[in-house]
Amino acid sequence: MAEKSSNESKEQKLVGLLAQFDDPETLVHACNEARESGYIKMDAYSPFPVHGIDPAIGIKRSILPLIVLSIALGAVVLGMGLQLYANGQDTAWPFPGYKFLISGKPIFSIPANIPVTFEIIVLSSAFATFFGMWILNKLPRLSNPLHRVSRFKRVTNDKFFLLLESADEKFNRSGSESQLKGWGAVSIDEVNQDLTDNELPKWLTTVGILGAILLMLPPAAIFSQWGQTNRHPRLHVVPDMDWQHKSKTQTVAANLSNELDGVRMMYNDLRSARRPVDGAIALGSLDIDSELNYGIKSDFAYTITSGGNALTGVAGSQGEKKEDTGAITVPAEQENIEKYVTTFPENFELTQEVLDRGQQRFEIYCAACHGYAGAGNGLVNQRAMALAATGGATWTSARSLHDVDVKDDAKNPVGRIYDTITNGRNNMGPYKAQIPVNDRWAIVAYVKALQETGIQSDTPVVEDK
Amino acid sequence: MHETRPAKITSPIVSLSDGYVRTIPSALIVAAIGLVLSLILSGGTERFLYVYLTNFAFLLSICLGCLFFVIIMFLTRAGWSVTLRRIAELYAMCTLPLAILFLPILITVLSGSDVLYPWVNGGWSIHNSDGALAHLPADQLPPLEQLKAAFLSPGFFSVRWIAYFAVWGTLAAFFLFTSLRQDKEGGIQLTHRMQAIAAPALIVFAATVVFASFDLEMSLEPFWFSTMFPVYFFAGGVLSALATITLTALWLQRTGRVTDEITTEHYHDMGKLMFGFVVFWGYIAFSQFLLIWYANIPEETFWYDLRINKNGWKTLSYVLLIGHLFIPFLAMMGRTVRRNKNIMFGATIYLLVMHWLDHFWLVMPHYNHAPGGHVRGLATTSFLTMIGDVACTVAMVAAFIAIFCLVARTRPLVPLQDPRLGEALNHEVH
Amino acid sequence: MTTVDPQSLDNTYDDAAHRTPLVLGGLDYEGVTDTACGFWEANSAPKVWWILLGLAISLLMLLGGLIQHLLFSGVGVWGNNNPAYWGWPIVNFVFWVGIGHAGTLISAILFLFRQNWRTSINRAAEAMTIFAVVCAGTFPGIHIGRVWVFYWLFPIPTEHLAMWPNFRSPLLWDVFAVSTYATVSLLFWYMGMVPDIATFRDRSKSKIGKIIYGLLSLGWTGSARNWHRYEIAYTLLAALATPLVLSVHTIVSFDFAVSQVPGWHTTIFPPYFVAGAIFSGFAMVVTLLVPARELLGLKELITLRHLENMNKIIMATGLMVGTAYGIEFFIAWYSGVTWEAFAFWNRAFGNYWWAYWIMVSCNVLIPQLFWFKWCRTTPWFMVIVCIFVNIGMWFERFVITITSLCRDFLPSSWAYFAPTWVDLGMLVGSFGLFFTLFLLFCRFMPVIAMAEVKGIMPRDHH
Repeated sequence: MAEKSSNESKEQKLVGLLAQFDDPETLVHACNEARESGYIKMDAYSPFPVHGIDPAIGIKRSILPLIVLSIALGAVVLGMGLQLYANGQDTAWPFPGYKFLISGKPIFSIPANIPVTFEIIVLSSAFATFFGMWILNKLPRLSNPLHRVSRFKRVTNDKFFLLLESADEKFNRSGSESQLKGWGAVSIDEVNQDLTDNELPKWLTTVGILGAILLMLPPAAIFSQWGQTNRHPRLHVVPDMDWQHKSKTQTVAANLSNELDGVRMMYNDLRSARRPVDGAIALGSLDIDSELNYGIKSDFAYTITSGGNALTGVAGSQGEKKEDTGAITVPAEQENIEKYVTTFPENFELTQEVLDRGQQRFEIYCAACHGYAGAGNGLVNQRAMALAATGGATWTSARSLHDVDVKDDAKNPVGRIYDTITNGRNNMGPYKAQIPVNDRWAIVAYVKALQETGIQSDTPVVEDK
Repeated sequence: MHETRPAKITSPIVSLSDGYVRTIPSALIVAAIGLVLSLILSGGTERFLYVYLTNFAFLLSICLGCLFFVIIMFLTRAGWSVTLRRIAELYAMCTLPLAILFLPILITVLSGSDVLYPWVNGGWSIHNSDGALAHLPADQLPPLEQLKAAFLSPGFFSVRWIAYFAVWGTLAAFFLFTSLRQDKEGGIQLTHRMQAIAAPALIVFAATVVFASFDLEMSLEPFWFSTMFPVYFFAGGVLSALATITLTALWLQRTGRVTDEITTEHYHDMGKLMFGFVVFWGYIAFSQFLLIWYANIPEETFWYDLRINKNGWKTLSYVLLIGHLFIPFLAMMGRTVRRNKNIMFGATIYLLVMHWLDHFWLVMPHYNHAPGGHVRGLATTSFLTMIGDVACTVAMVAAFIAIFCLVARTRPLVPLQDPRLGEALNHEVH
Repeated sequence: MTTVDPQSLDNTYDDAAHRTPLVLGGLDYEGVTDTACGFWEANSAPKVWWILLGLAISLLMLLGGLIQHLLFSGVGVWGNNNPAYWGWPIVNFVFWVGIGHAGTLISAILFLFRQNWRTSINRAAEAMTIFAVVCAGTFPGIHIGRVWVFYWLFPIPTEHLAMWPNFRSPLLWDVFAVSTYATVSLLFWYMGMVPDIATFRDRSKSKIGKIIYGLLSLGWTGSARNWHRYEIAYTLLAALATPLVLSVHTIVSFDFAVSQVPGWHTTIFPPYFVAGAIFSGFAMVVTLLVPARELLGLKELITLRHLENMNKIIMATGLMVGTAYGIEFFIAWYSGVTWEAFAFWNRAFGNYWWAYWIMVSCNVLIPQLFWFKWCRTTPWFMVIVCIFVNIGMWFERFVITITSLCRDFLPSSWAYFAPTWVDLGMLVGSFGLFFTLFLLFCRFMPVIAMAEVKGIMPRDHH
């Protein structure tokens, strides 16, 4: 009855006796008999879960649900923690979180965090269930002596089996066999373990080692380049926004070119922007008059940087005449007093009304710090100095406009005063965005008038230059 | 292997005996005393009516849940639940007598009092930003609100409610009396007839419950609207119906009226269903809250604002979140709990209390909006007033028990000749 | 194997006294195995299969080509415009993800409710779920524009990005929901398949088949101890998948409903979307299984009763969807909110009126045919109805997405959305992806959950 294994020469060990049954009822009956006869190490095999077999062979309820429950509870903390870390705080840890306000919701708002937490719980629990089940079942197990029994192939089809293991105390080769027959077994097979089964095939070892070495190559290659510098441009798998097909204004279409594309021009005349059509009228103000607009002599106009005048547009953007000035950036250097105009510009006409307006503008914009008389004691200055004295603020006192250096026409020509108002100096901020060109000159005129009358006077003196 | 039991009732025919029919008067006396006590302690009809409405909604949702249980069991041709079905059929039948309990509400509306519903007098009584109550006559409402005023009018309201009770009463009576007829005559064709009616019955049931929930509780605040509201009402109702059926079955078994027709396996399955509906209720409640909270549109959020930021209702909101969702969710997860009759007894009562609180939470915050001015939230409610609320609840539940006894009388408490009885008797959870 | 008596194949009669047999033709355990494995064991697949596969693969190539076109040219190749930034890609996404709900529903919810008739259809439905989710995932995947930085969607701590996703955004919830759903469905599907793959392993005649199925079956022996834990794990996964399957379409509905756009912001959306998903999913299962049971010779296992039950669910969920339409309309009027009322008026009578009425007739009216027994038990007829349902559900998503976006608060930002040929090609192509995977599955994987079918067969069968 018992089928002999084909290779008897190999070393074999008897695992147990496998009895075949034709229907689930007989199997359950046989299992009950076996348990009552004192067998403990046994297992039943069936194409589908047989109802009532668990008590028959004494299977205790699995702990799997508890494992899953504990993982699920952990996932609550994980899910909420992840969101708190990522969106709820921004401590300077190596990977800091990122706090940002969106749609007026609290930074860490529980209702909005429920869905993701829920998904994380389900995902973790599903993994716990799936992998927990296989681990508890000690699967995958690809080498199993049962698969050597040809009859056992029917276990996934329509037959039912009971295995009495030889390791069981009650097991007795012939006794057990007759018992199984008595319980209704249709046929009985010996299950033998071929001890060479557990050895890996030799080719597998070679392939494994070779594969491991090959797998090590890419990380090794990457690691060998760690911290190295390279003169070649970075490899761009995806161009993304690094190489956009666009050109910056007033350039010779420079960034349209790269090694891959060759130089490309937007227009035939090598420009990146189109020229205005004939007869086009410029909008905004034309600030080619450097004396008026910048307080700088026209000989020195090239020193004007492109950010020179925010109110009237970028210097040079009007085109033809100042093409060269716009693109050249002068690095910070020793201030050249020479470049400032020493007299009021030609296009600025000084009248009593202008001076009145200068006073009015001065009292709006300047007096707050410099004081109505220009003594450097405006209200803001007084308050800030008081705060600074108690350590409540840091403050550089506003200059008195009556200082010798400030009054000195050689050291501080009108062009420089104009420049100070325009671009600011030291702590003083630029006023070009607030005060139009002519008003700035009017303020300059009023400042000169103040300096002439001295600090004692509280009524401005008009002096026509 | 377990033995297969014969597919018929072996124990003597089970019913509430005559003695219990005689308990109807005592239940009614308790109800009367409770109502009077509540009226006195509530300090007038206003609060009393709100608590009364809470209790009415609570009892109605249970009966409707039981009606749903009956319909769905026929629709799915369920076999396991046959022995529990009669209890549900009896409770469903209680819907019709509940119409009597609806009368105080209907009379309030028809008498032109806007104590409960601000829309009663044609226009709407609304709260200004300073909390004072103002009456907005119908011709001052925006055009769409005028249309709504036609919908929310005492006349149409009464017509609708007559229709609801007619539909529910017809459905419940059909299922109960066909089932009772089967007890006497037997016959598969009666089951087939009930199965055939179940599908259209469910459609009519859904349509009526949708509008009944709008009318009963959503229109307490006529400006507020939520398409989810009927589902919320339904989820809570089915949950408490399951709890009521289980509780009744447990009580009937304890008093020996039903013996081995209902087994641990049935309680296990009812426990699973209750667990499912706890989750479903939580899902619906959370979805409704999240959508309104997230979009943050004033015409919707004020309803939650009232329940979270005003007058101590926050406490009750949290009690519901934890008590109606988290605690039963964790507690009813395990099979040992669901298979323990004593724990299930407590759990069903607990769920019913929570469901009562749910309706309290739906109805009572609008009591603040009632005419009369001063703020009366949960935190400011006095102890005596609370006793009054409890008295009203006890009274209503006693009245409901009387109704149930009246409906059940000497009728068998399990179907005697259902063709699927065998399945229910041999039901086993695996 | 028993010969099939055509008379015995109708099990749609209603008899409350007896449970209807779900395995017909007098099949025993071995007969079930033989029938279920028949198509796989055939030496060569029938010509029909090859023709369908060829057709499906050519559509798949169309999809691939169009995706390449999209990646190289940018999302401008679609009809998406301002204000309809969510054009067909999102419509297609919601459509496919909805279809991907029936499988897990059949496996999980019907399992928990112990509906035995699920056993012979659940495997194919689960497979369909996964393939539908693959199709669904494609569309938002390519809609993000710069596909190569898709990993920005996930909370990966990187130094050079120094940023995290916004966990308060429903679109991110979607990423988590759909990827969790795909993963859990895959686990569930595979775990359910292991005992049947073991059958293939034991019946495989080719060496390669033995190795592949041997590896995939993880050494399954059908041990009682294994079955014990397996069944517990199956129940647990079902219990996890049930709220999951609800959550996925709920979160998809949040994409719309948390906004303030009229017609999108309505609280019924979560259950309404779930009902719609089940509706369309079952319609797709019926559409696939009716031809599949012919082609694969599974009439004894996938019986008329199974199809009838699914049609009943289609009818029920169709009515739920119809009820939700009704509630939405009622509340749009009842709310008194001008924009809300306009949004719904516009759906029915605005410039997309045709889409709305296609939706209503396909989703609400046509399924009512299933009230008639002949309609729900005649295979060719039910396929026609189910195809209409699928069309209707696609239009439902179209109506929701497009009409609301094209007509929001400001008339100055109104526009008309028109799809391009790329939109159309991608929709058609996605069916190629879906059918390619499904046809391959039919040929190489166990289409019937044999172990489960055997488990519900009457014990006194022998």
